[in-house]
Amino acid sequence: MTIPGSVPDTEDSTAVISSAENASARPVIQARSVDKVYANGTIALKGADLDIKQGEFVSLLGPSGCGKSTLLRIMAGLGDVTTGSVKWWEQDYDVVGDKGRKLAFVFQNATLMPWAKVRGNVRLPLDLEKDSGPACEQKIDQALNMVGLSNFGESYPRELSGGMQMRASIARALVTEPNLLLMDEPFGALDEMTRNKLNDDILELWQANGWTIVFVTHSVYEAVYLSSRVVVMAARPGRIVEEITIDEPFPRGPEFRVSQNFAEYCRRVSESLEKASTMGQEQSQ
Amino acid sequence: MSNPLIKNEKFVQYAAPLFVGVLFMALWEITVRALDVAPYILPGPVAIFQALGENWESLLKALLVTLKVTFLAFFISVVLGVACSLLFIQSKWIEVSLFPYAILMQVTPIVAIAPLIIIWINDTTWALTVCAVIMAIFPVISNTTLGLRSVDPNLLNMFRMYRASRWQELTRLRIPGALPYFFGGLRISSGLALIGAVVAEFVAGTGGAKAGLAYMILQSSYNLQIPKMFAALFLITGTGILLFALMVWLSDLALRNWHESALKTEN
Ligand SMILES: Nc1ncnc2c1ncn2[C@@H]1O[C@H](COP(=O)(O)OP(=O)(O)OP(=O)(O)O)[C@@H](O)[C@H]1O
Ligand SMILES: [Mg+2]
Repeated sequence: MTIPGSVPDTEDSTAVISSAENASARPVIQARSVDKVYANGTIALKGADLDIKQGEFVSLLGPSGCGKSTLLRIMAGLGDVTTGSVKWWEQDYDVVGDKGRKLAFVFQNATLMPWAKVRGNVRLPLDLEKDSGPACEQKIDQALNMVGLSNFGESYPRELSGGMQMRASIARALVTEPNLLLMDEPFGALDEMTRNKLNDDILELWQANGWTIVFVTHSVYEAVYLSSRVVVMAARPGRIVEEITIDEPFPRGPEFRVSQNFAEYCRRVSESLEKASTMGQEQSQ
Repeated sequence: MSNPLIKNEKFVQYAAPLFVGVLFMALWEITVRALDVAPYILPGPVAIFQALGENWESLLKALLVTLKVTFLAFFISVVLGVACSLLFIQSKWIEVSLFPYAILMQVTPIVAIAPLIIIWINDTTWALTVCAVIMAIFPVISNTTLGLRSVDPNLLNMFRMYRASRWQELTRLRIPGALPYFFGGLRISSGLALIGAVVAEFVAGTGGAKAGLAYMILQSSYNLQIPKMFAALFLITGTGILLFALMVWLSDLALRNWHESALKTEN
C-alpha cells in the first residue's frame, strides 16, 4: 500500500540518524497544541507541542501525574485529543501498522494475557498480523533472548516476578521489529543491574535498526544516558516546559555514565525538573 | 498432631463435610428413636435408606426422567445463554434493548407460568425443559456477558493497535477472559436447571412412564409413604450436589493453569 506523497520506506537504510546531527530527518510524530481533558474534568495536557523525528530517542521526564502517560498514549493513537492535532509519518493514524510504519507500545504495567504462556504472549502481535512459520518462531526466540527470558517461554505470567513480566511485555513489543517504539516507564520495576543491561540492549537495538523511540521515565540518569533529547514536563496542567538535547555520540557505554559531560547533563536536566515541579505547585495553590 | 491425613488438604476437604453429615444423621436417628417419632411424620435415616433400597427400581426410573430434563435444560441454557451474551456484546444498543427481557424471565416465578407452558407444549419432556431453561438461563447470560465485557482495557488497546479483527478480539481476548465468569454462571445454572425441572414437574404432575422424582414425592405424600418421599428428596439433593461438583471440576480443569479460582496460592 503506497500513500500518495509519502516518503519511501526507510527499512533498508542502515545509517543511524541522530537528531542532533540531522535536523532534516523525516518526522515520525508531529503533535500540535494538544489539549487533553478527561471526562472527569482533569486537564491532563495543555498546549503540548512535540516533534519526534525519524531515528530519535526521546525521553519524557516529569513529576508524577504530569501527563507523560497521557501524551504517550496519544502518540500511540490510544485515546483522542480534546483539541489539537497529531500526525504520524505526516499522515493520519490510519497509516500506522503499514510496512515501515509499525508501532509498538510498552504499557506502564506488563499487561500480559494471564491464560497464555510467555511465548504465547510474545507471539500475539505476530498472530494478529497473521505472520507465522519458522521465521516467526525465530523472531520470538530472539525477542525472549533479548530480555533474558529464553528459559521461561513455557511459563505462565503468574509464575514470573514483576520484573520478568515487564521484560516479557518488552519482548512482545520488540517481536514485530517496530519502527516507532513507545515505552511507558518500562524499567521502573527492575533492579539496577537488569535495568542497565536492558538500557544498553535497547540502545543497541535502536541503533542497529534505525528505530524511533519515545521513552517515559522517572530517572534523570536513565533519560540522559539513553536519549538524544529529553523532554521535561510540568504538572497541573500537564505541559512541556523544556527540551534538552543530549549532544553526545552513540554508541554510549559505561564510560559515558562516569564522564564529566554525563554529570553536567544530569545537573541541567535535574534543575529543569526541579523548576517544573515547583511550577506545578504554584499553580495548584 | 503429625497425622499425614490431617495435613492432606484434599482429604480434609472431603472428610470434614462427610463427618458433619454422618454426625447429623446419627443425631437424627437417635432423636427419632428416643422420642419415638412415627415414621410417617419424620422417618430416621435408616428408614429412608430402607425405602431407597425397597423402591430402588421406580426411584431410579424417576431419577433418570428428572435427569433427562435437567441435562437437556442445562445444555440448552448454556448454548442459548452464550449465544445471547455474544449477541449482547455486539452493541450496547442490543444489550440495553434485550437485557431487561432476560431479567423479566428471571423474576417471573416459574410456578406461575409453568401451567401455561404445559398447556402450550404438548410433549411433557419439552414443556418441563422449557420451564427449567427459563429458570437456568439467566446466570449464564449475565455472567458471560459480564465476562466478555470485563477485558483489561490496555490489552484491548493493544489488540486494536495491532489491528486485530473483531473475530480475533473475541476469540483471543474476550472469550478466554470470560471463562472464569462463565464457569461461575454454570455453577449456579446447573442447580437451577434441576430445581426448574423438579418445580415444573410438580406443577405438571405427570404420572405414568414419564414420572420424575417430583411426581414420586407427590405420590408418596398422598400415600403417606414418607420414607419414600425422603428417599426421592435425597436423590434430588444428591443430584444437585453432584452437578455442582461436576461444574467445579470442569472449571478447575479449564482454569487450572492461570486463574486464581483454580490455583493454590503460594506465599
Ligand atoms: N482515565 C483517566 N480519567 C481521568 N483522569 C485521568 C485518567 N488517566 C489519567 N488521568 C489524570 O491525568 C493526569 C495525568 O495522568 P498521567 O497518567 O498521564 O500521568 P503520568 O505523568 O504518566 O504520571 P506517572 O508518572 O505517575 O505515571 C493525572 O492527573 C491523572 O489523574
Ligand atoms: Mg504514567
